[in-house]
Order: sequence, then C-alpha cells, then structure tokens
Amino acid sequence: MSNCLGFISLLLFSVLPFSCVAKEYKLILKDHLFYPAEIIIPANTKLKLLVENQDSTPEEFDSFDLNREKVLYPNRRSVIYIGPLSPGRYEFFGEFSPNTARGAVLVEGKTDADN
Amino acid sequence: MLITSLLMSINQLLPVVILLVLLQSLLRLNSRVLIATAFVGLLCSIIYVQSSAWLSQLFDYRGLEFSQMLLCVIVYVASLISCKQLRLFALLAIVAVMSLYFSHYFIYLVGFWHNTDTAKNLLIGTSLGIGICGSFGVLLLFLLHSVRARFGVYPLMLFLAFNASAKLLIALDLASQIDLINITSNYFDWRAVLVENSELGRVLKALVGYEATPSKTALWLYLAAVLAFIGTSIVFTRQLPQKEQS
Repeated sequence: MSNCLGFISLLLFSVLPFSCVAKEYKLILKDHLFYPAEIIIPANTKLKLLVENQDSTPEEFDSFDLNREKVLYPNRRSVIYIGPLSPGRYEFFGEFSPNTARGAVLVEGKTDADN
Repeated sequence: MLITSLLMSINQLLPVVILLVLLQSLLRLNSRVLIATAFVGLLCSIIYVQSSAWLSQLFDYRGLEFSQMLLCVIVYVASLISCKQLRLFALLAIVAVMSLYFSHYFIYLVGFWHNTDTAKNLLIGTSLGIGICGSFGVLLLFLLHSVRARFGVYPLMLFLAFNASAKLLIALDLASQIDLINITSNYFDWRAVLVENSELGRVLKALVGYEATPSKTALWLYLAAVLAFIGTSIVFTRQLPQKEQS
C-alpha cells in the first residue's frame, strides 16, 4: 500500500509546474462593494491581489473565470494570486453579496501567438 | 438573500451529501455509525471555523489554503483506502469533507444570522437548500443501490474515483491561489456549452468536479488521479474475499 501511495504522489507531482514572481495590487471590500471594480493588467502577468475586507461581516471572493475562491474575514487582509492570463475579461464577485460585490479583471495586450 | 442562501446551501451541502451517499452505497455503513460520524464532522467543522480567521493570517496569509489542501488530499486518500472495505477511512473521508465545506457554510450563516433584515430569508433559503440536497441524496442512493445490484461495485468505484479526484482539482486551484504552482492558461472553454454557475453546472461540479475552463495542468492531474484511483481500487478489491467483492 505504501508503494501505491508513493507511486500516486510521484505521478501527481510530475504534472505540477512550479512558481515565479508576482506584481502586487490592492483591492478593498467596503460596504459590500469592491474598490476598484475593474482591475486592468497586461497579458501573461502574474498578480498578487491584497484584498482588505473593511466590512464587519465576512465575504467570499469567488470567480468561476479565474478559478478562485477565498473567504475574506472581517477587518482582515487576504492574499490571492491570479494569472498569468490571456487577454480578456475575467469576472469575480462576493458570493455572500453577489448583487453588489462584483468586479472584473481586464487583461490587455497580445499573447505570444499574436507576435 | 433568499436565493443567495439557497445557492450557498446547495454549493456547500451537495458535495458532502454526494460523498456520503457514495461511500454508504459502496461500504454499506451502519446508520448509527453515520449519525455519530455526522456529529463528529459537525464538531470538527465548528472547531475549524473558530480557528480559520487566525489560520488565514499564518504563512504570509496562506494558512487557510494549506489547511484546505490538506483536507482535500485526506478526502482523496481516505476514499481510496476505503475501497479496501476499511470503514474507518470512509468515515475519515466524510469528516474531512464536512470540515472542508461546512466551515464556509457556517461562516456565511453566522455572519448574516445576526442581521434581523436577512435572518428570515436566510432561514428559508437554507431550509430549501437542505431539502433539495436531501432529496437529491435519497434519489442518488436509490440509483447507486440499483447500479450495484445489477453491475457490482466497479461502477460505484469509478464514480467515487471521479468524485475524489475532483477534490484534488480544488487542491490544485488552492495551490495556484497561493502561488505554490503555476497553472497554464485555460486549455478548453466550455462556457458556450455549459457554464459552471448554471443548475446543471453546479450539480456536475459537485458530482465529478466539472470545470467550464479547465487548464492543461488540471486536465492532466484529473486524468492521473482518476487512473491512479481506479487502478489502486481494483487491486484492493481483488485482495478482498469473494463475498465482499459484490
């Protein structure tokens, strides 16, 4: 059994690439609204989002487009990495307040295929 | 708030119900044991919720993701080992998945329960969500029992392989979220066919980890995890006495 588990671990780690440096960007959640509501970044850039929840209630940063989901605790800071992304619009929202807490990441520029 | 509560209930409860039904169908768990496990799972979820705000600030704000990744891996490994008819590991998988999903749910419930404007809608939405998940679970249970009676345990193990591997996809997204690994950009875009936040999309996500925009890394990981699960579970099943194989 331990051989099987070792084999599984090796197989899984063999498909995983590892990390590189990211640019920081501050995002604030206040009164169930994201500030700024739109984040503009160049293509193929990794971004470190520093999200500060200034409300007294928790919120959940959620994005199907970015495959990101994180609870933002009240009056605390959280970190979410996104990218590198191809040009396009990637929406995110607060799952606990989806009607108000909405935003998008706008990725501009050319991909490698366009050059 | 009512719709939000309903969707939250479905998103957080359905994966737990599905895994519980799958493992119950595969291992024929005793109802008393299941009830006791549910209590232990609830207790672990509450403890996890109480410590999650503190955890989230550790390791350069990545502590929560590390703990969630650990829970995902526990669910996968425990589900795999339970194919050897080891009920303790099935119960461990259930407790781990409850801790993973219910913690989100409790944060939401506690956060908005104190607001008198939202409490009523929260209660109605949550009740509806619990009812929907319960109905789904019962229907799934009957379906799996019927499949087992006709075709044996292998289809159930295949289903469990997909469901357990979906937890590793969650772990992969969490690892990318905290910059542990680089994930390639989206390889497929199936949003034109089925979006994740549609009704069917949410059910498929809970069942088999459907993603409308999977990356190449996610696809390979999912395939590797499913194949490893199936291969290992077949080996485990063949080691069992003939009576326990059907």
